[in-house]
Amino acid sequence: MKQLPYLGFGLGLRTAHYETVLAELPANVDWFEILSENYLVAGGKPLYYLDAIRERYPMIMHGVSMSIGGSDPLNWEYLAQLKKLAERVQPAWFSDHLCWTGLDGKNIHDLLPLPYTEEAIEHVAGRVRQVQDFIERPMLIENVSSYLTYQDSAMTEWEFIAAVAERADCYILLDINNIYVSAFNHEFDPHEYLDFIPVERVGQFHLAGHTNYGDYIIDSHDHPVIDPVWDLFADAVRRFGPVSTMIERDDDIPPLNVLLQELDHARGIAQPILEEMAA
Amino acid sequence: MTRVSSLQARFQNAILTRGGGFDDAIVATERVSAAQRIEIYANAYRSRLIECLRESYSALHTLLGDDAFERLCRAYIDSHTPHHYSVRWYGDRLATYLRGTAPYRDHPYLAELAEFEWRLMESFDASDAPPVTVEEMSSIPPDRWPSLTFALHPSLRRLELAWNVAAIRSAVDEERDPPSPQKGDQPAPWIIWRNQLRQFYRSLPDAEAWMLTHAQRGEHFAALCEGLCQWKDESEVAVHAAGLLKQWIIDGLVTRIGEYA
Repeated sequence: MKQLPYLGFGLGLRTAHYETVLAELPANVDWFEILSENYLVAGGKPLYYLDAIRERYPMIMHGVSMSIGGSDPLNWEYLAQLKKLAERVQPAWFSDHLCWTGLDGKNIHDLLPLPYTEEAIEHVAGRVRQVQDFIERPMLIENVSSYLTYQDSAMTEWEFIAAVAERADCYILLDINNIYVSAFNHEFDPHEYLDFIPVERVGQFHLAGHTNYGDYIIDSHDHPVIDPVWDLFADAVRRFGPVSTMIERDDDIPPLNVLLQELDHARGIAQPILEEMAA
Repeated sequence: MTRVSSLQARFQNAILTRGGGFDDAIVATERVSAAQRIEIYANAYRSRLIECLRESYSALHTLLGDDAFERLCRAYIDSHTPHHYSVRWYGDRLATYLRGTAPYRDHPYLAELAEFEWRLMESFDASDAPPVTVEEMSSIPPDRWPSLTFALHPSLRRLELAWNVAAIRSAVDEERDPPSPQKGDQPAPWIIWRNQLRQFYRSLPDAEAWMLTHAQRGEHFAALCEGLCQWKDESEVAVHAAGLLKQWIIDGLVTRIGEYA
């Protein structure tokens, strides 16, 4: 399969940083990931800043509303808007989560896990194919953090996501923090997860912080990345090589320079490993 | 119904109703029971929607305070399931809910403030349209004026306000203590709009509100002047109407000058 371009180190674009990004044009962020839904609007500030920042940086589209694992028909009105946005942004790829978000026209606005079954693989893979054909760009599906396991599940999460990607012929956005969170919540070894994922399918990494409640961890995106997640990231770089990497922060958003430092930390971990691999 | 969809139906119902009856489908761990695992999702659902309402209704939140606002949100959430793919639209029926539901309906400024804040949001990312400039207006020969028509900015929103809700919202935006809710002598027409990227709102005198309504309907300048005779002497109306129009243009409200066919 075709290899996706390596974009380097990026950040999730947030409204709090629009002005700083444009004023400082930081050189140590290579690209931005946008939350697609924030720009499915008619006009005003969101689209103004989108265009202004896109002129200066590569951009990737990341969505939360596709409900690719949902049992309602695909929302073609949403997909048409997404396609229109993709024509504006010209992203090298677009992504959404391997999850469902609601049923019977209702929207829970959450990334709800799927049962890991053959039926679900078949169902999701067929939908991913339809969406990829329609948007006409490569699609990445992201592993979500989850807080429960269904009795129905007949395989591991890593077997499930790998099978969906193979059968749909799409890529995987590997969220390193989500692997860590789910490994804690479901008591599995995160390395077993990494080792099973086919290298050529992985097109992007996500890094983020979370909240640990003792008995379980919630993927809250409101803290810096923690050391065990950095360690897992290093292992992921060793396995998957140069994969476009970005940090997500959605709450308690610090000034841009704090996130840029965190991004430099990611770079500092990955680059020596990549150089060693290239040597 | 497939196995996946029936599982989803049961899970969604457990999140929305918190009615239980789904534990048998979930694996428990030593640390977390099946019921607790489902409850994580039921809680997250409500927290996310409360957060969204907090963002959409910052002044209503400030006015009510954290606890009362959260009570309102939880009641609204219990009676309104989101349907739109974008969470941003979730609060679209809050003003209606406040207007019709005890105890909120006994404090009509709450519904009015919610209505005002919702219109602000609508205006914020409404379509763009380049405004007409004063130079463009001045270059039109006087003999064409009577038949001119005007298109107004897509971000323009209009509402009637009986209370000082705009002052409450602007105090909250500027991080000042909001004034107490006060009712004016009579409801006044207000407009909300965007000039390029900035948002504005102001009240309108009756004559201007009338003229704006009729300009929006596509009526030509001569008809607008004629209508203004309700308020102004006939000898002054053309100058008065031209003055209002010039202000609208300065404000970025006019996006096209056409000619009545």
